[in-house]
Amino acid sequence: MLIRKDLCVGCGRCQPYCPVGAIHFEELKSVVDQEVCYECGTCLRAEVCPVEAIEESPYVYEYPRALRKFFSDPNATHALTGIAGRGTEESKTNDVINRVKPGEVGVAVEFGRPTLGMDLTNIQKVTRAMAKAGITEIEPENPFNDLIQNHDTGDLKPELMGEKVLSAIMEFKVKQDQLGHVLRTIKKAAREVDSVFVVDVYTRLEPGLAVPKEVISAVEAEGYTRRPNAKINMGLGRANKTVRRKA
Amino acid sequence: MTHSLHREGPLDLLNKEYVLFVYPARGFNYDGSGPKAKRLVEMLFHQGPANLLVTTLRRNMYSAISREEILDSIKDGTKIFCVLEGREKIKDTLAKIKEMDEGISIVISGVIDRVREVSAELGLKPHTINLSLGIHGKTDRLPPADIRQFTTMCGHGMVSPRLIRDVIRRVKTGKLNLWEASLIAAAPCSCGIFNPYRSVEMLKDLLPLYTVNRL
Repeated sequence: MLIRKDLCVGCGRCQPYCPVGAIHFEELKSVVDQEVCYECGTCLRAEVCPVEAIEESPYVYEYPRALRKFFSDPNATHALTGIAGRGTEESKTNDVINRVKPGEVGVAVEFGRPTLGMDLTNIQKVTRAMAKAGITEIEPENPFNDLIQNHDTGDLKPELMGEKVLSAIMEFKVKQDQLGHVLRTIKKAAREVDSVFVVDVYTRLEPGLAVPKEVISAVEAEGYTRRPNAKINMGLGRANKTVRRKA
Repeated sequence: MTHSLHREGPLDLLNKEYVLFVYPARGFNYDGSGPKAKRLVEMLFHQGPANLLVTTLRRNMYSAISREEILDSIKDGTKIFCVLEGREKIKDTLAKIKEMDEGISIVISGVIDRVREVSAELGLKPHTINLSLGIHGKTDRLPPADIRQFTTMCGHGMVSPRLIRDVIRRVKTGKLNLWEASLIAAAPCSCGIFNPYRSVEMLKDLLPLYTVNRL
């Protein structure tokens, strides 16, 4: 994002809106630090500038800078998937698409969340660790795949190393008996990064909204704490009849 | 997106708050989902959501947008994100959704025990759960927990910690009341699940703990 110096009156109203504090005063005018800026567009969408001095940078959609926009602005549509936001459905439609089946566990590592964002150099530390642990198949519909140069090594595209994202979600699934190994690998990789990520696991439910004990055991054995709130697919969705006939 | 999964805050407030998604599945029930989503949004408006957004507009209820504009924008594939307050409200809403039987995936983000109770009372059979296993890495770089309870209401990180501190300052200096401050905090959330009512409750508790170093 850019703030037009010729228009800015130095009121500072935009500054609190930047999630990462990229806007500051320089010579009595607000300026966006281009290195810090994630191109999320929050400052522009806030519509608090009295003189409309905030605008998108002319290079915001140029590769590789465009990465920042696509992964940081939830209103932006990913070029690859045509989906806004992070582009993953995860557990939200599992009652219809049946992606994660009984005996399987979906895992998501949400880099940069909450709020801090993460650069690609640090994301690569985790992808390499995961690849070394045998996790090489990332959810194909996830735009995170766009970042990966080599799935077997976890190397990301080298031209992206100077970029950063407010959040990107690495999503994959494993068998229940592999969950402990995966969680252990993630915990170890967490020590190497200089930002944060959140971890979630998703699984089919047993009757009475019961989480399979194998999943609970693996989570607890690796020293993770489950939050009391969760995201629950209520089992009310179904595929259109024409789709079911084709299947 | 798991943007509603990692909401932080006091358990007594989390117990009262339910994020509800209506989520068509690409390639499975996108086609024809528009009229279904519209009917669901009309019902949700009657339920009195704390916030609501449809993905075709990406502006929440507090962004100077009318209900008619929201309804008119809905088409096949539109997703609905909203927040409802209170156990009885979510129970009544889920009962209506079950009866309407539109066949689109419904996702609730809330305290597991509360959702379990309501599901049992309504005879619902929840299908899949997404569990949050917390924040990892350099957690000492994070804003403090009392600020995160606001910012994590927008899971995309669009509500800035600095904005929360700014509205706290403005309330303490008499420039805003609690509701006005909460609406300002809610406005940047482009997923429609920032709950200004919870924000008011949290601000009431938080304000006495903060001092102001500039007007």
